[in-house]
Amino acid sequence: MGVLLSAPWIAIALPLALALLVAVGGSRLAPFMRWVAMLGPLAVLAIGVASLGATSETGDVVAPFVSTTTAAASTAWIKVGDFALTIGYAVDALTAMMLIVVGFVALMVMMFSVGYMAGEDGIARYYALLLLFTASMTGLVLADGFVGLFVAWELVGACSYLLIGFWFNKPSAAAAAMKAFVVTRIGDVGLFVAIAILWGATGQTSYIGSMAALPGLSAGLVTAIGVLLFVGAAGKSAQFPLHTWLPDAMEGPTPVSALIHAATMVAAGVFLVARVWPIFAASPTTLTVVLFIGTFTALSAATIAVSQNDIKKVLAYSTISQLGFMFAALGAGAWRAALFLLIAHAAFKALLFLGSGSVIHGSGTQDMREMGGLAKKMPTTAVTWVVGAAALAGVPPLAGFFAKDEVLHGVLIASPVAFGALAVAAAFTAFYITRATVLTFFGSHRGSAHAHEGGASMLLPLVALAIPAATLGFAAAAIAKALGGEPEALSLTVAGISVAVATLGIVAGYLVYRHGPDADLALENTLGGVWRASRAGYFADTAADYLFVRPFVAVAHSTDAIVDRGLFDGITEGSVVVSRRLGQFFNRLQTGDYQGYMPFAVAGVVVLIALAITPGLLDLTLGWFGR
Amino acid sequence: MSIVVVCAALFSLGVYGVMVRRDVIGILASIEVMLGAATLQLVAFAMSSGVADGARTEAVGLVILALAATEAAIGLGLLVSVARRSGRGRLDEMAEVEG
Amino acid sequence: MNITLSQVIFYLIASTGLAGAITVVSTRDVMRLILGLGMFLASVALYYLYYGLGFLAVAELFLYVGGVLVMMVIAIMTVHRSAETEPILTNRHSVGAAVMSTMLFALLVFGLSGAVPVTTLGGQDPGIAALGDAFLGVFLAHLEIVGGFLFIGLVAVLAITGGERE
Repeated sequence: MGVLLSAPWIAIALPLALALLVAVGGSRLAPFMRWVAMLGPLAVLAIGVASLGATSETGDVVAPFVSTTTAAASTAWIKVGDFALTIGYAVDALTAMMLIVVGFVALMVMMFSVGYMAGEDGIARYYALLLLFTASMTGLVLADGFVGLFVAWELVGACSYLLIGFWFNKPSAAAAAMKAFVVTRIGDVGLFVAIAILWGATGQTSYIGSMAALPGLSAGLVTAIGVLLFVGAAGKSAQFPLHTWLPDAMEGPTPVSALIHAATMVAAGVFLVARVWPIFAASPTTLTVVLFIGTFTALSAATIAVSQNDIKKVLAYSTISQLGFMFAALGAGAWRAALFLLIAHAAFKALLFLGSGSVIHGSGTQDMREMGGLAKKMPTTAVTWVVGAAALAGVPPLAGFFAKDEVLHGVLIASPVAFGALAVAAAFTAFYITRATVLTFFGSHRGSAHAHEGGASMLLPLVALAIPAATLGFAAAAIAKALGGEPEALSLTVAGISVAVATLGIVAGYLVYRHGPDADLALENTLGGVWRASRAGYFADTAADYLFVRPFVAVAHSTDAIVDRGLFDGITEGSVVVSRRLGQFFNRLQTGDYQGYMPFAVAGVVVLIALAITPGLLDLTLGWFGR
Repeated sequence: MSIVVVCAALFSLGVYGVMVRRDVIGILASIEVMLGAATLQLVAFAMSSGVADGARTEAVGLVILALAATEAAIGLGLLVSVARRSGRGRLDEMAEVEG
Repeated sequence: MNITLSQVIFYLIASTGLAGAITVVSTRDVMRLILGLGMFLASVALYYLYYGLGFLAVAELFLYVGGVLVMMVIAIMTVHRSAETEPILTNRHSVGAAVMSTMLFALLVFGLSGAVPVTTLGGQDPGIAALGDAFLGVFLAHLEIVGGFLFIGLVAVLAITGGERE
């Protein structure tokens, strides 16, 4: 226990070492290695649990940490003269909770993958990347300053790229991976600039140091830093307008979607804002921006999820929407509510993704129009899925209900308008997830597959995730307290609205879709262009293509033609031509006619004699040669 | 006009001849001219400056003379040998290295 | 202008020497080449006499004119067997060579002319005895080395011209 507490960096080192071990294990991974790989996230989980128990919210709490830290260390990494960038780790209650989330979900995902990814090519690469991701994500939450954060941030993005593009031979997967990387990179630029400004203004990169220096900065500067940090968070957490990569990221294997694009990486943005909360708390402008973007994203993504046919796309847009809820809570100042939703969402969204994986594995398709009636054939999956779906919809007493309630409560205090929008979004949330549930599990099977359950390795994680999805709500008070806040009493008004909205969505969803997906056609006829726009994601991709991608590609092509081929190739080939011409020129001196060399020899003698006889000329000449 | 001018002129003429004549005999003759001019210059300096007496000057002159004659003999021997084999007496025809 | 006899002789010898050298570098005819060389060598010998070095002058005449020149005639007879067309005199480099030679001449004159006064007719003939003393005294090493070279030269020429006898 002591080791876990005093050396939390093991949570990074062990998965990393296991990643290397697995990577060199050859392309065919021995089955037992997949279980050995699970030691990585298991260590993370253990360290998180131990640390959470050891932290205390009373005692010596230094901002921005929310509790006492169990272990902290830092060292100078890059030294240039007097400047040094420090890198290190520190574990407080927030970090510990994130460690638990990352460790637990990663563990479940790895276990699920044993059955789901059995027989796949490149399985060693898969597990190595999962472990590398685990290590990077752990590094992200363990960092005690912006330098470590940024390094881990980028690493996590790289792992995401590699995992989305796991089936790299598939062009759509490769394109999706590139898109994810580029779009999040745009956000990363914002993050980098924010860190640079902060460092320039305060000379600090550690959390403690920079938070302490905050009061000395101008309000405008703090707002700028906050907004730029939010840009980085928006990229990673797929908020408008940097959300376009997440639906495409579904090209990756489903367990990857569960781990990275539901529970952990996309939560990094929320984590970032919570981690450096004093910056945001000091700038109302930034908070307004965050609230607006979060609310807008939550509502618009929820409306898109309604019209999707691919079960994974429904979940993707759902994730975007739920993240929007979290950012709205942050923007309203209720950061503890946002974190609680993050934890609950990790549980039930991972559950839903893995459940969809089980469904895909069993029925052989991702299109919900070809599913149906799977409740009888895949009972365990169905039950756990319903638990997750209910949690997402906000059905009490599941975790989602409590989380959503806290969020709505916080947002109501900040902005009734936003509250209204989020309530509508909650209604849509219940609607689309009911639609998905009904189309997938109820009715009669519309496809041709012989659906069957997966093995124990696939079912166990589903059950294990269903437990926190169901019960986490009762830990809400404890979580809030651990984060240094006061547990809030349940506001009956908000709870009532929340339940009403959820009920409305569920009932409507069931009624519309109980006879199958043909209801989509009816909706399309009724709503016309709105429905089609929703299904196309409101043409966000097309807009991005015309606004950014095409001009940039044109610039790249012209640079290639002018600079790369014209200038650089011109120089290299030109130098070849020049040296060849020079060689031909000097070649003419070598005539082989020895007599012809003689005038030159005599010329040399003449020069020497001239040097010798002219007084002072010798010294002058030697002076030219620097003697 | 002094002996220096004369010897310098003779020497320069010899150098010119070596650079310019195509036939090997001519080149060897030009070399003899160079040698003769140089020896004469040495002797003239020796006698005029009074450093060396007559006997020493003669001795040096004889040494140079002997060496020059040897060189001429070897050069002519080479010429005869090459010319017998290739039938050529001109330097540019003997040259095998092309530009 | 007071021109002394010695100056006249000096200039006469100079003219023959120059005439000979010019012939050597510029004639097409091989025989004229030899004659020109002979004239040059003779004039050098006369200069030695002018400086009072009798033995050297005679040695020059014997060795050069009598020996080397004759050798050259024999060599010419060996080489220029066929009555071929006269070779064109100069090669392509005549202009550059002329320039270089002229510059060399100018530099030599410029560099050396401070050293020697205008000459007068030379002094006493040192005599053979003194020469013998010199060679067996101070210049003994030179004598031996020259002897060695002459021997090497002899062997070399025999080796070069000996060649393959069928």
